[in-house]
Amino acid sequence: MSERCLLDRILEPGSLSVRLQPVLELHGGAVHPHYFEALIRGPRGTSAESPSILFEYARKKSKESVVDRACVAAILDETREMPEGSVLGINVHASTLAMDAGFVEFLAARLQARGLWPSQTVVEVVEHAPPWNVGGFRAAIAALRGLGTRIALDDVGLGHSNYMMILECRPDYLKVDRHFVDGCHRDFHRRAVLASVAQLARPFGARVVAEGVEDPADLAAVRRLGINLVQGYLLAKPAPVAEVVALAGRQSTAKSRRPPLARLQAGR
Amino acid sequence: MSAQAHSARHVLLLDDEEAILLPTARYFRSLGCAVDMAREPEEAEALINHRRYDLAILDLRVARFGGTEGLDVLREIRRRDHDTSVIVLSAYISPEVEDQARALGADSVIRKPLPLPDLAHLAFALMGAARE
Repeated sequence: MSERCLLDRILEPGSLSVRLQPVLELHGGAVHPHYFEALIRGPRGTSAESPSILFEYARKKSKESVVDRACVAAILDETREMPEGSVLGINVHASTLAMDAGFVEFLAARLQARGLWPSQTVVEVVEHAPPWNVGGFRAAIAALRGLGTRIALDDVGLGHSNYMMILECRPDYLKVDRHFVDGCHRDFHRRAVLASVAQLARPFGARVVAEGVEDPADLAAVRRLGINLVQGYLLAKPAPVAEVVALAGRQSTAKSRRPPLARLQAGR
Repeated sequence: MSAQAHSARHVLLLDDEEAILLPTARYFRSLGCAVDMAREPEEAEALINHRRYDLAILDLRVARFGGTEGLDVLREIRRRDHDTSVIVLSAYISPEVEDQARALGADSVIRKPLPLPDLAHLAFALMGAARE
């Protein structure tokens, strides 16, 4: 039998790879990357190459925290060449924040070692299953705030990313799940949900990100609702870090007038 | 069995023995099936969460764990109300465990080793029955 289980493969240095997908800010006709969400791919040639299987496996093994730490290490290592000032979005399970008392300290140490200001990171809180230690979670969120990272709540509207989580996280960003975005231009009820989240965000001082924008008509509908942060294949697909770095380098020298990430999309 | 006839079938294999897992995967692929391999129950469960399978061939005991982990995966398949045909395999199987497997919804409980052509024959008979 194989002595190395899948978890061993996942935790092996260099086995995780990173793709970057920007959250884009739309302002008039201009499009700018607001931050880059780092998306993990598991070891090549394994079932966990697919991120959904990777993280489901981690959850089944109750190893979210160990895998989240490995992801942080991989992301900060692989994005070393990103242009100065780039902001990185890093996904972290709520259960990791709740149960791994040393996680924020670990993150702070890794950021410092990498020479990245905490304000250049957005911790995207993802959750798939309760229950978790509320006290530990609150302490971790407070520690992240003290550190200076921004906080996003992922998949708002689905599962456990609900009002309670909004209260607990007081996020800087509410990322509305693609379920509510896809087809919103022809669905009054989807637009009603999006409008409701946009309204909810205001007293929290949060900004709304529409995830999964793939249709120009949906993009227009989202913008009419006042949501100017978007993410999706329509504007930019997840791309290898080297590709994003190369594009940023070309743009800083050529000062291209094209929207920064339109060329990424055109290239795939 | 022609490869073309079975091109749409998705098969999940759970076994921690590479010497069994890899040839079985190769054999079913040669018959036109899409095969996913899992070496641990948690990996199998993550795969089940990701997609529906026409057939699951589950080793009852995953040596690293030493229990009846194949049944945990079977339970997870049935909890999802999947119409997946399930074969539970084991070198050692007591009547009690066999009864338990059948009660949980195994379509067939068989002893290892079974020649691959015989296993495939059984598998396609079950999948054919499930589609009728």
